[in-house]
Amino acid sequence: MKNPAIIGASIPRLDARQKVTGQALYTDDLTLPGMLFGAILRSPVPHARIKRIDVSKAKALAGVKDVVTGADTPQVKFGNWRLVPDSQDELPLAVDKVRFIGDEVAAVAALDKETALRACSLIEVEYEELPGYFSVEDSTQEGAALIHAESEGNVSLARKIKYGDLEAGFAQADYVREDTFRVHAVSHAYLEPCSSLAAPDEGGRVTLWTSTQVPYIVQCLLASTLGLPENHVRVIKLNTGGGFGGKMELRKWEFCAAFMAVRTGRPVKFTLRRADELASGRRRHGMPIRSKVGFSKDGLLMAKDFDVLLDGGAYNSMGPTATFLCGNFGAMLYRYPAYRYLGRHVYTNKPPAGAMRGFGAPQALFAAETQMNMAAHDLGIDPIDLRLLNAMETGDEIPEVATISSCGFKESLVKVRQMSGWDVKRQEKKPGHGIGVGCYSFISGGVFNWFNTKYNFASAEVRVFEDGTAHLLTMATDIGQGSDTVLRQILAAELGIGVDKIRLTASDTAVTPKADLGTWGSRVTLMAGNAVVQAAKKIKEMLIPVVFGHFDLNQIHDIAFENDRVFSKARPDKGFSFGECVYKALKGRRGEPLTAFGAYTPRNKGLVSPAFSFGAQVAEVEVDEQTGLIQVHKMYTAHDCGVPINKMAVEGQLEGSIHMGLGYALMEDFVMKDGRTLNTTFLDYKIATAQDMPPSQSVEIDTYEPEGPFGAKEAGEGLVSPTAPAIAEGVFHATGYRCLDLPITPPKVLQGLGRLKG
Amino acid sequence: MATPHFTVHQPATLEEALDLLGRHRASVKLLAGGTDLIMKLRGGAMSADHLVSLNRVGGLNRINYQDEDGLVLGAGARISDVAAHPDVRKHYPALAHACSVMATTQIRNMGTVAGNLANAAPSADTAAPLLAYRGSVVLVERGGRRQVKLEEFFKGPGLTVLEPMEILEAIRVPVPPGRAGSSYLRLSARSQVDIAAVGVAGFLALDLDGCMMGVRLACASVAPTPVRCPEAEAMLEGQRPDPRLLARAAVACVRAARPIDDLRATANYRRAMVQVLAGRVLQKCLSMAQGGAQ
Repeated sequence: MKNPAIIGASIPRLDARQKVTGQALYTDDLTLPGMLFGAILRSPVPHARIKRIDVSKAKALAGVKDVVTGADTPQVKFGNWRLVPDSQDELPLAVDKVRFIGDEVAAVAALDKETALRACSLIEVEYEELPGYFSVEDSTQEGAALIHAESEGNVSLARKIKYGDLEAGFAQADYVREDTFRVHAVSHAYLEPCSSLAAPDEGGRVTLWTSTQVPYIVQCLLASTLGLPENHVRVIKLNTGGGFGGKMELRKWEFCAAFMAVRTGRPVKFTLRRADELASGRRRHGMPIRSKVGFSKDGLLMAKDFDVLLDGGAYNSMGPTATFLCGNFGAMLYRYPAYRYLGRHVYTNKPPAGAMRGFGAPQALFAAETQMNMAAHDLGIDPIDLRLLNAMETGDEIPEVATISSCGFKESLVKVRQMSGWDVKRQEKKPGHGIGVGCYSFISGGVFNWFNTKYNFASAEVRVFEDGTAHLLTMATDIGQGSDTVLRQILAAELGIGVDKIRLTASDTAVTPKADLGTWGSRVTLMAGNAVVQAAKKIKEMLIPVVFGHFDLNQIHDIAFENDRVFSKARPDKGFSFGECVYKALKGRRGEPLTAFGAYTPRNKGLVSPAFSFGAQVAEVEVDEQTGLIQVHKMYTAHDCGVPINKMAVEGQLEGSIHMGLGYALMEDFVMKDGRTLNTTFLDYKIATAQDMPPSQSVEIDTYEPEGPFGAKEAGEGLVSPTAPAIAEGVFHATGYRCLDLPITPPKVLQGLGRLKG
Repeated sequence: MATPHFTVHQPATLEEALDLLGRHRASVKLLAGGTDLIMKLRGGAMSADHLVSLNRVGGLNRINYQDEDGLVLGAGARISDVAAHPDVRKHYPALAHACSVMATTQIRNMGTVAGNLANAAPSADTAAPLLAYRGSVVLVERGGRRQVKLEEFFKGPGLTVLEPMEILEAIRVPVPPGRAGSSYLRLSARSQVDIAAVGVAGFLALDLDGCMMGVRLACASVAPTPVRCPEAEAMLEGQRPDPRLLARAAVACVRAARPIDDLRATANYRRAMVQVLAGRVLQKCLSMAQGGAQ
């Protein structure tokens, strides 16, 4: 049932006014009586044994209330992949070794920030330096020292995928090409730096307010690292200024805040600075990607061999998932009769790479889509035609992995071709101007239970009241993407009441129902949305009998929930207001509140995701062949996100994705020297500004995803992938320069055109 | 970084400001827009117990053009005000352009042209056009005033001829001749809101025979200080404009550059871009002069 007034409407964020007027509270806005300020001492060297730590001078400084090192902690290793305990390779504070510049060594809590920082500088650490490895090639070379003793040659994990007859596929192919692509690490650059505040609670319990995407995961891992029962830890997420994957793990300051709050009996707050975030924060995986692909002379895909080394930095973080997804997206979008993937996650002495918007897909798709464009060029087939020839369709199966339950990919290609004026612009080329295409597919949440939760993947509790309002409780985590609004829309549509009638309590692990795995992998709308629908349907089951009983309706009647009313569809006069209906139900229950629990866990949905989005994007660019500067004039996007719940939110995701994809393609890059990040401000770590943003035209392809709430699937993440390959193809079309290693900088363009010496 | 603590003094006259400088000479800095200074104090790159603000000193924010004396920019003249000033736009379009594209809206609204010069960053956007327009700076101390040509003002990154107790009071720029053209072009990785990786400014006038005179070329971000390009200027002076000659002069500009590799660009790329930008700047100057516009 679709309620067009709510589903598909462009409803502004319900928290927009609070945010733009500065009233919205973020973690760092909180101050509690007696609160201490935390600071972290980080490793200044990339790889070393810790010989000695002396904190006596720091402890003696006036105003310092606590100093902790790894030796003081329970030393419990943690990591998101609880299902594979060997993958949990981090300690809350370094013990024996440091593995990257920025590795957390000690923490201080003091009466003010200045004292905490000064105390950090008084901690003496003696290091015995070990060889540092700053590329996957170096750390995997024969005889390299191990960054983690448990790993084999610094490879922390390998993932293989294989189906079809690869050798036969290449043997029968008329055209085979092999290329190596290089993609780089970039920053999430969320606007709110990480902040965490912990307060001790009665009975040895602790409460943590934190800027996170995953309150439930933080609760569980914090409890295990502190040695507390899970429910002694309460995690509350306030407003969170973005995450993009960078806030989806237990982080060390979260541990330190809680640990020191328990030790001192006082609240402790840590807030990172932008320089900390850029110098030592999580980032997207850089990778060399070797891809070999074969086609028939007519352009049909025959086989693909995809080999990737993920530069994981010093710890696994979310690398295992990125390794899996990279392999999946190496062969998405098109029908590959034979495919082989080998992905290896490699340790280096750099800040750990983690989850970041797209989660392995932007890298895999830059390589795959660029190679598609190269093949089209060589085969003399238009790049969009070549894609149409091979495109996936609804019902396609990826052997043993997934079935595509809805797919608007071909329609996206046809639409983007038409709206961008592709055929004319491709043919009638103007000097310096080019037009290119890139495509994407993405998951709507993951199926694989790497966190090994015993609860449902998403849950919701709905309470309805006799004043006609409802209360939605969910652990689903709005970090700025707007799920607090979208989930209320879903509940409103299901119960037939106004969005403004719904109170929401979200992301408080002591109050909201267990569990929800958090915001990542574009899972929230589909998974939490389904949980809300299920809870709402249970509420309706409680209310429907009231209408039948009161009006003595024949059982063939169907009951509608619309416009704050509950009534017979055939006899709309037989019914009453939503509130009155709840009132009558409440009477019958002798005062027991109407409350229902809903949940969602994907079952029988293969290995990857219950649903996949698709889309195609075209970039129009202009290249100054003397300076190498690239201007993106316009982006055209046609995409299939199922039924959009909130069109304005989908549009916002598209704009944000283009912005992030543009930075990835053209200007964002960490400047590194011997493991040290040199650009630690937004002046020198260049994200695109509003003034760099090209105008954008987009259209949503009309599909219905049977597994999603009201037919919806993901819209927040996949769209970040097509931008870089589309721009790269545009640059090639404009100049003849083909970029295989991001970002596409002006010097690279000039070198590629032979106008600048390397 | 720890929050720095300092006392801010807000004198109403230049004399008072000079007195305050003297009184707190052990640890004092001048504050104009503060867009560089406050960042350095916060980041710990600089420290001072006292800041003497020029923001309430009477008359310092003047922007004044007269046909005899040329342009005077007081030390307090904000970058955005200079960019918008009709006389600056009319007579010194390259300076107006530099002031409208540098940094960010917020920084342009607070920062001053004098501060941009006194800060002496190699990348100072206003320096190159002011060098092209033959600008000079008026420095004042308790003993008196002196006027220094801009090309003699810079000594190195962050270094100038300013004495510790001296204040940059004003910038003076002579009236450009008729049939003149000028231009400033800059490159950065991001289209806007960025520091220039390379900047080139030029000025030239045409005499009655159509020969080039008063040619000035200057570059920013390609040497320890903003620099003039004397060899290129000499090649063009008194000559008839000719595309091949202009191209050779653009090559000569590269020889004035002593760029380094840094976060923003490689030395190699900077050298190549000096040539490209100088060529474009000269073309623009010439067509402006020939068109008689401005």
